[in-house]
Formats: sequence, C-alpha cells, structure tokens
Amino acid sequence: MLERFKVPDKDKIFISETEIYELTKRVLMASGVSEKGADNTASVLIGNDMRGVESHGISNGLRLYLNRYDSGENNPTPNIKIVKESPTTAKIDGDGALGTETGPIAMEMAIEKAKKYGMGSVSVFNTGHLAGCGYYPLQAVNEDMIGHCFTGSPAKQTLPTWGSEPILGTNPVAWAAPADEMPPFLFDIATSQVAGNKIELTRRTGAKLLPSWIADEDGEPIMEEIETPDKGQYHLLPFGGTRENGSHKGFGLGFVGEMMTNILSGAGPAIFNDHQGSDFFVAYSIDAFTDVGKFKTDMDALLRRIIESKPATGYERVVYAGYLENEEYVKRSKDGIPYHIEVVEWFEDYCKKNKIDCDLR
Amino acid sequence: MLDRFKVPDEDKIYVPVDKITEVTQNILKASGVSEEGAKNSTSVLIGNDLRGVETHGVSNGLRLYVENYASGNYNSKPNIKIVRESATTANIDGDGGLGAEIGPIAMEMAIEKAEKYGMGAVVVSNTGHLAGCGYYPLQAVEKDMIGQAMTSGGAGLTVPTWGSEPILGTNPVAWAAPTKEMPPFLFDIATTQIASNKIGLARRTGAKLLPGWITDKNGDPILDEVEAPERHGRHGESNYHLLPFGGTRENGSHKGFGLGMVVEIMTNELSGMGPAPLLKHEGSDFFAAYSIDAFTDTNKFKEDMDELLKRIVESKPASGYERVVYAGFLESEEYLKRSEEGIPYHKEVIEWFENHCNEIGIDCELR
Repeated sequence: MLERFKVPDKDKIFISETEIYELTKRVLMASGVSEKGADNTASVLIGNDMRGVESHGISNGLRLYLNRYDSGENNPTPNIKIVKESPTTAKIDGDGALGTETGPIAMEMAIEKAKKYGMGSVSVFNTGHLAGCGYYPLQAVNEDMIGHCFTGSPAKQTLPTWGSEPILGTNPVAWAAPADEMPPFLFDIATSQVAGNKIELTRRTGAKLLPSWIADEDGEPIMEEIETPDKGQYHLLPFGGTRENGSHKGFGLGFVGEMMTNILSGAGPAIFNDHQGSDFFVAYSIDAFTDVGKFKTDMDALLRRIIESKPATGYERVVYAGYLENEEYVKRSKDGIPYHIEVVEWFEDYCKKNKIDCDLR
Repeated sequence: MLDRFKVPDEDKIYVPVDKITEVTQNILKASGVSEEGAKNSTSVLIGNDLRGVETHGVSNGLRLYVENYASGNYNSKPNIKIVRESATTANIDGDGGLGAEIGPIAMEMAIEKAEKYGMGAVVVSNTGHLAGCGYYPLQAVEKDMIGQAMTSGGAGLTVPTWGSEPILGTNPVAWAAPTKEMPPFLFDIATTQIASNKIGLARRTGAKLLPGWITDKNGDPILDEVEAPERHGRHGESNYHLLPFGGTRENGSHKGFGLGMVVEIMTNELSGMGPAPLLKHEGSDFFAAYSIDAFTDTNKFKEDMDELLKRIVESKPASGYERVVYAGFLESEEYLKRSEEGIPYHKEVIEWFENHCNEIGIDCELR
C-alpha cells in the first residue's frame, strides 16, 4: 500500500496475531457463527492484516459484518450446498454466508479437484463480502499449486471507460504462485484505480486522493489531489484512470471479473440483481504441467532478478507483488499488528456491550 | 486502437479478405510451412486485421516471420510433441514453430479437455511469435466456452514498477466469452502501457507517443509527448524501455507489472522453459477453456451477457465522448465493415508484399 494509507505512528496500538485472532473468533461466534465459520473469517481477515493489507482486515471488515448479521443481510448459520459439480468444477450456494466463510471451503475444493485432475475451479454465489482476493490463492500455494481468485463486488461503483454511469463493482482479482526460497508471488488488486475500502481507510488516516483516482458525480475524472468526498458524491474509475492512460484495460479486467463470478455462477449481472456478489476460485496443479521443483527454482531465479535489479531514479529498491506483504508478515509475526486506536476502541466498546472477554492493551 | 495508430486515409489500399488470405498462405508455404500450418498462421493474422488489430496482423507480422524462417530462427516444419499430459492439462513442445501456427492447435486441445472435464489448459514452449492473444479465446467462444490466452512477449523490454532495467516482455493476456445477440466480449491487452508493435505502427503512421508511455534509456518515465523512437533492442540495448500499464506507481503501474508477472509465470515457468528474462528464449504460451455448461445454463449465461453488455453500450457517455463501448465491441464493428469493404492496408505494406512476391516468384494481385 502507498504510505498515505498506513496508520500514523501516534495512533498505533500493537496487538499479537493470536490475541486478535482469538478475539475476532469470539466476537463472530457471539453473533451465532459456527466455530469453523468463525475460524475461516478470522483467518482471512487477520491473514490480510498480517500482510499489511489492512484495507481488507478487521478494521473495516468486522464491524460491517456484524451489522450485516444483525440486519439479516448475511446469514451467520448458513446451509452451504453444492448445487452443480463436474470432475474439475463445482458451484456452491452460500446461503447468504459471508464470502470469508465460504471462500476457504471453495478454494479447498478447487485444490482437491486439481490434485486429481490437474485443475479445479469453484464458483460461489449467494454470499457476502470476500475481504479481497489475496488470502485464497495462498491456500493453493501452500499445496504447491498456482491459485487464482475473482470476486464480483457490489455493482454501481465503477464507471466504464468513456462512461458517466457507474456499472461494475471494484471486482478484485488475484493470482499466487509458490517459490522455493523467495517469498511467494501474490498479485492481488482491485480493477478500479483505488479499492473502495481504501477510500474508507483515507477517512480514518486523513490521506488525500491523488489526481485521476476518482470521478465526480457526472463521471468527470477529478484531475487534482482532493480530500475524500462523502459517500455517493463520487464514482470510481477503472484502473488506468483515463482512456489515454489505458483505463480500458482496467474496465476490461473488471468485466472479466463480473463475467467469471456473477454471470458464470448464474446469479446474473450484479447491476440488475439485488445480490451481494459471487466468487470464483481456481487451482492449477503445477505438477500437471511441469516439474514442481524446477518451477519453484525458476520462480526464485526470476524473483531474485527483479529484487536485484537497479531501481529508477528516486527509488530505493525494486520489488514484486507479494514481497513487501511478506516482509510485513514476518515483521508483524514478531511485533504484532499495528491497529489504529479507533479500531481498538471499537473492539473494547463492542465487547463491553456484548459481554465478550476483551483484553487488548 | 486510439486514432493516432490508424492508417491515414491517403495511404490506405483496400484489399479483399480472400485475396490477402491467399497471398499470405502462399508466402508462408514458400517459406517451407505446411498447408495446415500456413492456414493456421494466416487465420490468426487476418483475423486480427479484420478486427482492426493491425498491430498484430500481416503488416508487422508477416515480414518478421519470413525473415525468421529464412534465418533459421523459426522452424517451418516443426515436430510438435506433447511432453506432459493430464485429464485437463497438456504441455506441448513447439519445436521452434511459429506461435501462430501452434496456438490454434493448443487452444483446440484445451477446448476438447473442457468439453470432457469442465476445464482445459495447454501450455506451449519453444515457439515463436503468437501474434497477440485475441484470436485464440474466440476459438472457445465458437464452442460456447470462455477462452483465455497468455503469451510472454519477448523478455527484456519492460521495466518493473520502481525499476530501471527492462526485465519482462509485453506479456499480453486475453479473455473472451460468448453472448447471444451482442458482439462477443473479447478483452485482449498488453500488460505494458503500449504494445511494442504499436511503436512500430506509430513510426509508420507518424503518430506521437503520449506522456507516461515509455521510459528513457535510464528507466525514467518520459513525461512529454514524443516521436516514436527508432529501432528497439532487448535486455537494455534499446534507447527506450516500456512501462507496465498504469505508467507510474501513483497511477497503479504495480497492477500492470503484476499482471505481466502472472503471464510470465503461467507461460515460461509453468511450461518449464524457465524465466525468459534470464534465458533470453522466444517465450511460451498458455491457453485455457472453461465450459460454461459445467457451471451454469449456457443460454442463461449468454442472455445475462447480452443484458449487461447492452446496459454498458446504452449508458450515458462522459462529456466529450459519443458513446460507451466494451472490449470487443468496436472490433466486431470493424470485422463486419472490413468483411464487406476489404482491409485497409498502408501502401507501404502492399509494396512489401509485391516486392517479396516478385523476389520469390509467386503470384500477388492485391490492388
């Protein structure tokens, strides 16, 4: 993440991974979620926090999910069903569960299929927020496979290239692949210029938005640095920003996301249907294509070549997707995760109200 | 394509599709390529020209291939072998054949696997230029499937985000999906700000390059509009390098660089060829087909696609624009127009055809 999204030093409170994981699980279970479901969701959110992807960790996510359980928008006790299956594919009805509860299950199924048949993919519909795509491909990496994930996020956020009406969501996509000694490759992006969650994060950190990150209500790209506008007073741009700078690439990839999730699952385009979205998970067995040992050694050589290359003027080093996240992971495993004081206060208030044991400081 | 890349009106010569197809096939066969191989490569190149993707048609491609066959860089009679196979996957050794010759065969295999098992993916190593990725996913679309293709387009061209040394190629990627009445969705991009073929095209058409499209020799982004620089080498020999799409980190170039890495991994590493930036080989390809029927009702999928694509095309444009389109829409318009009127080639291209045919003694009646 860019510096501007990070928690300012004076507002940081460090909490250990285990502590925040246990508490998050307790909080979810107090809302009626099963132990397994709470484990899945807590693992995804805290996995994101550990990698420094705090836009998709508990800070924004948990309170949102609890509200959605309260309002009935998400189902804390879903009956998750496989509604269609082939040797390599499956489709799961999530019964209104959080995406973070069904996601790890779906990726696990894709991995099992890939072990048997070379590849596997699983489509999930009728679920809530997935908390980004990064966590799931790493499940495949742990099994020496390549993992891939799309999610169709809520529609009517992002403009098409040349357009003024928001149609697609931020539609994130991720791939991950294992290496031998180097940190794994993990590429995890929103197909908009800025993830919707990052805009929320700027409200907390006070960061400004850069030129051509968003458009005004009429769809005109805002070409100066600005304070984050109120919700409903801006639209997202596809990545690239303007056509001259290649926004058709961001819009096209966002459309691929919509197609591989909402349309392929049969849920239908999110813009016409009042559903929360669908997800798509793929696992590729490396062994089905080539020697796994060679693949990982080749990955190391490639990734090292990048890390050891000469930076452009003004930069200290060159990195690849997943490298800084891994550094953060190692650091946070030791130091704990730095949460914004506002987030810790939220936990304390919530636990007090709901009589949940909570000792974070 | 942006207008700046199109052939200026005064330089256009319209050639009917069957004529250019026949001559292209004959030129390839004269280079020693088999009937079937020439047919494949020609379909790919002319398919690109028909969709208006002339960066990846005969204009830039054919002379390059003829040179590469003549120099022995490409094998005109490849002995294509499957070196590893599973229910859903295969790894093909292309034996130095042209990517455009082997690509259609590999995608066909992926489609057959997807018909049986729900998904199929085929990697191809040891091949030459694929002529972009757009043609191949459309093979899957014809079978009511979703198609995907990636190719590691020549390493040593593109700098990483924050980097100054060109490491990756332009690494294109494409997806396509069928519809009912609307033109199919076909998303086909380079993971650089600009395909390097477009720089060749810009030199021919005299177009300038926009700010943030390329870097100077030292890897610093050029932030002015510039003439397309001359002659491009790889692995740092060039006087300019390409930027990943996004351009700068603030504008998201890590997204372009990351997607370029995905392509490098899914082609060179997954095929076992090894990293192109280190080994300086021609590259490898990845093709995948997803059976829609394995997930949902194909007819509903196609209707849903129509509905969403219509919503996009009918949406209100931003000020200054006439309409909103989706990937594949303009290409489909161009396809219909060019099928009827012929393909507008730059006269320089026609002259190359005429000279080359003359040299090798084959018929060539294009005007």
